[in-house]
Amino acid sequence: MKEQLEALQAEALDTIAAAADLDTVEAARVKYLGRKGAVTEILRGLGKVSAEERPAMGQLSNVVKAAIGEALDSRKTALSSVADAAREASEAVDLSLPGRRPSQGHLHMVNQVTEEIIDIFAGLGFQVAVGPDIETEYYNFDSLNTPADHPARDSHDTFFVKPGVVLRTHTSPVQMRVMEQVKPPVAVLAPGRVYRVDYDASHSPMFNQIEGLLVDEDVTFADLKGTLMHFVHQLFGKETKVRFRPHFFPFTEPSAEMDISCTVCGGNGCRLCKNSGWLEALGCGMVHPEVFRHAGYDYEKYSGFAFGLGIDRIAMLRHAVPSINHLYDNDLRFLEQF
Amino acid sequence: MRISLSWLQEYVDIDVTVEELAHQMTMLGLEIESIEQLGEDVQEVYVGQIVAIEPHPDADKIVVCQTDVGGDAPLQICCGAKNMKVGDKVPTAVVGATLPGGFAIARRKMRGVESQGMMCAAQEIGLADETDGLLILEEDATVGEDIRVHLGLDDVVLEIEVTPNRADWASMIGVARELAACYGKELRIPEVALVEQGPAIETVTSVTVEDTERCPRYMGRLLHDVQVGPSPEWLCNYLIAAGQRPINNIVDVTNFVLLETGQPLHAFDFEKLAEKRIVVRTATQDEPINTLDGEARKLSDDMLVIADAKVPQCVAGVMGGADSEVGEGTTTIFLESAFFHPASVRKTSRGLGLISESSQRFQRGADPEMAAYALDRAAQMIQELASAKIAEGVIDAYPEPFVPREVTLPYARTLRLLGVDIAPEQQRAIIESLGFEMLHHDDTAMKVEVPLRRHDVSMEADLIEEIARLYNFDNIPVSLPRARKCEKVFAPNEQRIRAFRHYLVSLGLTELYNWSFSNDDEVQRAALPASYRTMVVLENPLSEKQATMRSSIIPALIGNGARNLNYGVTSVRGFELGPVFAPSDGDELPTQGNRVALVLAGEMEGAHWSRSARAVDFYDMKGLVESVLEHFGVVGKLEESDWETFQGGQRAAVRVGKHVVGTFGRVASAVARAFECDRPLYVAELDLDWLLTKRPGATQFQTVPTFPPSARDLAVVVDSVVPAGELLEKAAQSGGKLLRSVDIFDIFEGEQVGVGKKSVALNLVFQSDERTLTDKDTQKAVDKVLKRLKHEYKAELR
Repeated sequence: MKEQLEALQAEALDTIAAAADLDTVEAARVKYLGRKGAVTEILRGLGKVSAEERPAMGQLSNVVKAAIGEALDSRKTALSSVADAAREASEAVDLSLPGRRPSQGHLHMVNQVTEEIIDIFAGLGFQVAVGPDIETEYYNFDSLNTPADHPARDSHDTFFVKPGVVLRTHTSPVQMRVMEQVKPPVAVLAPGRVYRVDYDASHSPMFNQIEGLLVDEDVTFADLKGTLMHFVHQLFGKETKVRFRPHFFPFTEPSAEMDISCTVCGGNGCRLCKNSGWLEALGCGMVHPEVFRHAGYDYEKYSGFAFGLGIDRIAMLRHAVPSINHLYDNDLRFLEQF
Repeated sequence: MRISLSWLQEYVDIDVTVEELAHQMTMLGLEIESIEQLGEDVQEVYVGQIVAIEPHPDADKIVVCQTDVGGDAPLQICCGAKNMKVGDKVPTAVVGATLPGGFAIARRKMRGVESQGMMCAAQEIGLADETDGLLILEEDATVGEDIRVHLGLDDVVLEIEVTPNRADWASMIGVARELAACYGKELRIPEVALVEQGPAIETVTSVTVEDTERCPRYMGRLLHDVQVGPSPEWLCNYLIAAGQRPINNIVDVTNFVLLETGQPLHAFDFEKLAEKRIVVRTATQDEPINTLDGEARKLSDDMLVIADAKVPQCVAGVMGGADSEVGEGTTTIFLESAFFHPASVRKTSRGLGLISESSQRFQRGADPEMAAYALDRAAQMIQELASAKIAEGVIDAYPEPFVPREVTLPYARTLRLLGVDIAPEQQRAIIESLGFEMLHHDDTAMKVEVPLRRHDVSMEADLIEEIARLYNFDNIPVSLPRARKCEKVFAPNEQRIRAFRHYLVSLGLTELYNWSFSNDDEVQRAALPASYRTMVVLENPLSEKQATMRSSIIPALIGNGARNLNYGVTSVRGFELGPVFAPSDGDELPTQGNRVALVLAGEMEGAHWSRSARAVDFYDMKGLVESVLEHFGVVGKLEESDWETFQGGQRAAVRVGKHVVGTFGRVASAVARAFECDRPLYVAELDLDWLLTKRPGATQFQTVPTFPPSARDLAVVVDSVVPAGELLEKAAQSGGKLLRSVDIFDIFEGEQVGVGKKSVALNLVFQSDERTLTDKDTQKAVDKVLKRLKHEYKAELR
């Protein structure tokens, strides 16, 4: 029996080594190690072996089985890797062919900037507030210390819906609507559409503004400067210079305009900044006592600052858009650039 | 307002560079629009004197002049002008000179005679617009002097924008006062000393003010023996620098004093006034007047006029009348200096559509005190420049003099508002430097009297602003306020709207942003239902195209889709979140709602080397709408819509419960054509406000399957009219607990299945949480589905 087993092992190893494909290897497994395979067949004769020899024969048969099994596995691995390599070679792609790209949507430039601004101020504790596009003259003008014959109304070319009702000319009326609802502290940011009767290369009859308002017992002009400088540095970068200069708005006192160093020339002077090195960025100031009076706030107790900025202008500066009309043209060839 | 630097220096010494001055003015609130260096483009032009004029040997219209410009010998210059004579001094451009417009002077021959330069007309050196012949200079001009120096063209003009609150800045003295305060310099206001002659003014004329509310102060002086003529060069130069055209010595003086003091003046030709008297009254309705700008105008009965005994001679504070205009024949003038009510002038100016230097100043609020000074200043100048005699006395109708306001400022309030501690002495010094009168001060507060020119100062905040300005905003420190907690959330949906917007972008849609306007024609072209056709109408629209506020975003998106297709954009996928408006009967304001609108057109999948392009169809839009609904956690049901905007058979209303959330479909061909589009367009609009009321709760956990799913396909033949969705619904109902999903993977119509029939192939997926399913399990379930479909739709297994 020993000879039989050894002979079988030799034959099996030869067969396996000669196997040219995985099917032949599998056939060899069945032939030698299968339930009805050659090894099993030989072991059937174990009963005729003497009791002393039997353990040794049992052991030998395990060794033979293991040797054949190992040879099968290693032959299989070797053949598989050859087969894989052949298949993979046949599946090679042209790396230079264009891929399939998912279609990409684009957020409108105005909202990209709006969200960024909201996030900057949200970090300082400001929350968003909204108001109607069609407003009463009271909220748009009167309550903001701009009575009917005030010269400041001349600069707001107002769309009228009917006497006393207008398309809001700025987002400032949201200030009053907010203050009417709560007592200080108030820290809000009001983005939205605003309207003026004005249409040319640099004016759109509808555009977007953001109004900001902070009122509490201890708010100062220094806070106004600090807040807006923080904002500019976040949005335009730390190297941007900021300048506050006196201006006039009916609803703030003192009032200021904030300029930033020119985004094109960095302050050296160019066509965009008319050689001044500065660009007007926004209007701001300390809330006027008359505005507080309309809101029912005590000017002796509270102080606050407000600011309003044109989102379109900021977006245009940022992306070097030459005319505001691109923003509302809804030309996908423009919108999908950003 | 144009500020000539050399003129400004008459009132205050400026010893800084132009750049520094401009910066300082900016930091005071005097916004600089531009800085102009006059005469920059006039080079190598000198005062020349004509020493000889001879005819040209070969040309009738040209003469040959010898002109002395201070060199060794006179220059020979050929000239076509006629108004000069020997001895005249004229601007002379020598060889190498440049003139405005880049015009260069070279040596050349004119009809064979050499010309070594050019003698110039005013226009040619950038002065007035219309001139005839050479500019003849004054006799005492210095030959050889640079013409820019001689004409004051070496000046710098700072153009400033005056904010509406500071009428007092619309004057040379006003600006000088601000700079004097800022630099700690003396303000020099020219002294006036009049010599009055002749009969007292009251004996010659009278002034009746019928409306003292609109005309609180009216002053006048009478000047006799006026010799109207040209103004001297210095006056012309100042006016030119200020952007005005010199006219004659009388008009020029009134303009000069207006610019100097900010007080508008008007000179009447006294002889032309009926009954030689003045009546300040309101106009009668449609009363005519010919104004100085050559227009015949009709007044209304709420406008104030300066009339004689019969007719209006001047629109008060706005513009004079042509009938009593001062001209060459004028010998006696009545000079007016008044204070008109700002609102009244503003209304008149707007009513007539007429804006003048006067109206701009009066409507911001002139200085009632300055009226007296300006009148005397002008009278004295006219006396000097037009050899006039000033009648004795002055008319001053000022029944109720203005009382200056008094304002108290506790010093601590300055710190509290500005966040910087400015010493009381410094606060007081700033306020006083601006001409406020200190009435009282102690350790805690100051009390000041506000000059009448300062209409903008009435409360403590106004004084704090003055202190902040002069202290310089740059010197106020910078601090970051702490975050505050507000008790109310004002825009609770803000985050969700933002998330939704980003969701749509993630689906490959680009955000559109249309104006909120619409118009009847657009709504009609879009065939919107009747309820959308009553819109909020604007009283003063920009044009007919923006006559109303939009009731729907759909017309705009159809337009956007059409235009982009016409531009050649291959794939149009867009959305807009925005407001729509509707008139409201009871409320003060119209209603405003928010909608989301979607547009798809062109290719849904672009052409690629691996596949061909696929055009957008109804099911792309349906899927998009379903995704939107799912985003808000709702399931909608589609119903056939009746909107004519969309093509029949491809339009749907989206219903959730009782609420119709929106509508979508393929834009009807006729509608698309009305928007100049001949290709398929799909548009949807949903009620965003309603969707935002749906707040899906946190999704709850469901067991993750441990056992494998088992899928079966089932193709059935039914009548073509059976909606496939119903088959899905019934299959889902009848498939039992193990059925996890059912979908349609093929629809087929053709001979093989019979006329009027279609084959619908369903894919059923079964799964159990407890065990691996056997063929028997799934077959049982499939049989149940088939039985139900046979029963309900006479479905046959294919």
